Parts: sequence; structure tokens; C-alpha cells
Amino acid sequence: MGSSLEEGFEMLTAGLGGQPVRERLELSEDARLVGAARDGDRAAFGRLYDRHARMVHGILLAKAPIAAVDDLVQDVFVLALRRLSTLREVGSFGAWLAAIARNLARDHYRRSAPEEQLTVDVPQEEIELRASSGDQNASAHLVLDAIKSLPDAYREPLILRLVEGMTGPEIARRTGLTPGSVRVNLHRGMQQLRAILSPSPERPGLEGAES
Amino acid sequence: MNAGKNEPKKEVHAMRNDYLWDRSGESDPEIQRLEALLERFQSHRPRPAFPEVAPAMGWWIMLRRLRWVLALAAVGAVAAVCVITVLVHERKPGRDASAGWDVSALEGTPRVGRKAVSEKEGESRLGVGQTLETGPQARAKLRDEEIGQIDVEPGTRLRLLNTGSGLKRIALDRGTIHTFIWAPPGQFVVDTPSAMAVDLGCAYTLKVDDTGAGLVRTSLGWVGFKLHGHESFIPAGAACLTRPKVGPGTPYFEDASSEFRSALTRFDFEDTIPEQRVADLGIVLAQARPRDALTLWHLLSRVDEPQRAQVYNRLVKFVPLPSGVSEAGILRLDQPMLDRWWNDLGFDDISVWRYWERSWSGGAPRANAK
Repeated sequence: MGSSLEEGFEMLTAGLGGQPVRERLELSEDARLVGAARDGDRAAFGRLYDRHARMVHGILLAKAPIAAVDDLVQDVFVLALRRLSTLREVGSFGAWLAAIARNLARDHYRRSAPEEQLTVDVPQEEIELRASSGDQNASAHLVLDAIKSLPDAYREPLILRLVEGMTGPEIARRTGLTPGSVRVNLHRGMQQLRAILSPSPERPGLEGAES
Repeated sequence: MNAGKNEPKKEVHAMRNDYLWDRSGESDPEIQRLEALLERFQSHRPRPAFPEVAPAMGWWIMLRRLRWVLALAAVGAVAAVCVITVLVHERKPGRDASAGWDVSALEGTPRVGRKAVSEKEGESRLGVGQTLETGPQARAKLRDEEIGQIDVEPGTRLRLLNTGSGLKRIALDRGTIHTFIWAPPGQFVVDTPSAMAVDLGCAYTLKVDDTGAGLVRTSLGWVGFKLHGHESFIPAGAACLTRPKVGPGTPYFEDASSEFRSALTRFDFEDTIPEQRVADLGIVLAQARPRDALTLWHLLSRVDEPQRAQVYNRLVKFVPLPSGVSEAGILRLDQPMLDRWWNDLGFDDISVWRYWERSWSGGAPRANAK
């Protein structure tokens, strides 16, 4: 891996008390907005929403059914707004929000899994058939399913990267995870995803998927 | 579970794929295709209108308004403390079965503490502070949804030291375990009497005998083996011995010649005369294949200074120095230069380990607790 990248990270880290410049700036901006939102500034909370909505959406998409995700995103932010006064480390807003999102997704799954299993709109076989005949939407669903079949640790960063369009460093900054673990999980997850998506009789159509 | 010979190289190739990490470097058509295909799942819902929330109250106002509630809460807290104190005194300290791993018997009757785990009764729990023993005839399976799965062979004794958020840790006092870990790399650690094994991705077997000596054999991903400052990295297909008080030996690929392996074991662990050490090193260098760059890289920091140039000369024939790395730097054991050279060996990216050390260092293995 790029040693110059490592060096750059080290240099920035050494010079600024343990955190890279961009991370510090982002955290201080979050802290400022959280402070303002706590004082009742709804616009500041709106800015926090703009900054973190993609991350929350990605985390939920990794764990909850697609149809429920948009509503859950709103639930996460409403819950966060109500509990904002309980947040101790204002600079950890992103990590805190991510934890709320994961908990809500887990609760949602516990509450509604049986019903959802009974109300699948399109059978899997039909999706695979459509994918094999070039239906891009069906292909996209198959790829998403493949990502969601990966272990938790890989699923989340891959969705944040491939669906939400966040970069690895951005994922680390927003979720509060270390860049090292995000990077490793992205690459290991991508390796597993490539293995799943490689041509096989069970999963037709994926290898040729085009946007 | 067996990784092919090219597996580590593939992995390193992936780790260098900067497009996946930050979209820098050469674009990867497959990733771009997936990005284009999956962007349809992004949310396009506009920002919702959030409800008004009153500003946080000042502490003194809040305290005045809540003084009766606080008084009642204080009384309740005193009562709760009394109840908890009584309960804690009735239980043995350090046993917490709620945070733990599921245990099931694969064969015979393993035991968690004094409690037998039988196939008929289904799953049991191994709580923090508790011990699992399999005895000579039993095998068991440990499983945690967030961490992974461990198959425990007969004659094994292990203890759960920590689980939940942060570092997940067990102690293997003796016996054999096969681990398959899906927690992120660096979060699952096994303490043995002679080294600490750090999972850096996926699957390995760890054995500890009655003297506390150990062997780790990696089948997928890689494992870090550490005792104080002494560390070894064991990629898939490789193994590493460890001895009490000495720590981890030099890792080697198991398909190396028997002369190579015997000489390496003597070099690492036997208290031989200097001439014998030099002779053993000579055998290792003479028999080394390009794949044994793994062993040679570790030897750089383990040989005496006069022999270091010999190891360097052999290794550089297999793997050229990357830019920015010099012979002088390697011979004086400049850590960043050694790390960069390691990254060119084609096994895995050492920055994963360095991040782990920064995050979790200080966790030296416990003293022999048998």
C-alpha cells in the first residue's frame, strides 16, 4: 500500500496531537453544530442531517429492508434530536448517530422480520430471471443482496462506499472507526463480493451487469 | 479454508487498490460498474422538518425542578446498591454468563466450570471469567454472532477473559483450538503461556502443550504472534512455534524442506554455541526459496549483527528493495523501511498490524496461569 500515504498520515498525526487535520476540522464542525442544535437551533441540526444522512442511510440499508430505510433514517435523526442533550462527547456525533442507526435497524428487524418474510413482492427466482435477461434494477437488487449476505463488518463499509459514494477516509471520519479497520474491511469485503459475483450457474446475470 | 499459493498476493493487490479506498489511482472498472449499478439505492428524500426541541436547561434550573425526583432517586439508588451488594457477595467474583459465548458439545461432555455441557441439553454459555475444559474425550464448539466460531479439541482448557465491545480475549492454557473469526481484524486475541495470538483476518489453528509451548498454523488471512516487543506475522499456509520465556519463533511455510525447518527451530529455541547458530542460519539461507522471503524478513531482526548482511543479501535476491528503502536502513533495522519491504513481499499490509498496535498495545499476555 502507498507508503507515502502512510507517511502523510503519520506527519499530520504527529503534528496535531494524534488526529489528522481533516478529521479534526470535521469533528470541530460537528461539535459546533451539536452545540448550536442543543441551544435550539434547528438549522444547525439540519446541517448535521445533511452531513450524516448518507452514512445513516447506508448503515440502515446494510441491516434493514430497503422499503423501510427512508423512514428509519428519519426516526434515527428524530431520536438523536431528542437525545442530543445526553451526548457527552460532542465531537463523536457521527459515531453516536451510527450506533443509534444500528440499534434502530436491529429493533426493526426484531419487530418485523416475520411479517416481512411473508410479504416479499417479487420471488427471488423471478429477480434472478430478470437479472439474467439484462434487467438492471434486478441486477442491482441481486448485487445488494450479495453485499447483505457478507459478514456485518464488511457489509456496512461496502454499502457506504458503493451505494452512498463515500470514500474510505470519509467512512472512517463519519462513523468514528479507525481508517485501518475501514480499509481492511473494505478490501476484504470487496474480495468476498467479487467471489460471490463471479459467474456461476446459481447467480446468472451478475457478471454482466451494467448500469 | 485452504488459501491457494497466490492468495496473499491477490490480497496485497487488493490492499493497494487505492480506487476502492479513496478513488485515487487507476480506476477499477468493476468497482465503477458496481457504483453505477448501486447508486439507485441512494436516498432522494428531502430533508425532513424536525420538531422544535427546547434548548437544554441550565443545571441549576433543572436541579430545582427535579429536586423531589432526585431525592426519590437517591433513596432508590441506596436501596439498589444494597441489593446489588448482597447479590454480588452471593456470587463468585468475575463470572458473567450474560456476556459470553454459546457453547455446544460436539463430542463427549465438555465442562464449563463444574457444569457439564451435553449434546442432549443443547447450548450452554461460557461467561467472562469462566473456564471451558474438554477432557480427553470431548470436543466443543464456541460461537458468538459478532466475533466468530471456535472448535475446541479434546484435552483443551481455555478461559474467556473479555468479550463485547473492544478487544475480545480468551486465554488458551493448553490444548487445540480451530478459530474462524469474522470480527474485524485485530479485535480477537488469544493469550497463551508463551505468546499472544492476534487475529488479523479469518482462520487459524492454535495448539498449546503442557509446557506452555505453542504452534499457530494459519489457513486464511493472517495472524500476529506477539510477546512483549517480539512479534511474528503468519500468513495463510505458514506456521510459527512459540516457547515460554522466548516468545514466538520465526514463521515458515510448512512446505519448506525438513532441513530448513529443523535448522530454523534450533536457531530460534535451542541454546547452542555460536558456531552452531551460524551453521543453522547457513542451512536456512541455502535452502530458502522465494516464498521463504517470509522467514528471511523476520530473521533480519533476529540474527546477530555480523550475519544480518548475509540475510539481507539472500532476501534482496528474492524481493528487490522498494523505492525509498536502502540497504543501510535495513541493516540498522529502520522500522519504517522494514515495514515497506514487508509490504513488497506479497503477504499482507503491515499497516493493519501497526494500527492494531497503536489501538491496543499494552496488552501483554498474562503470566502462566495454569
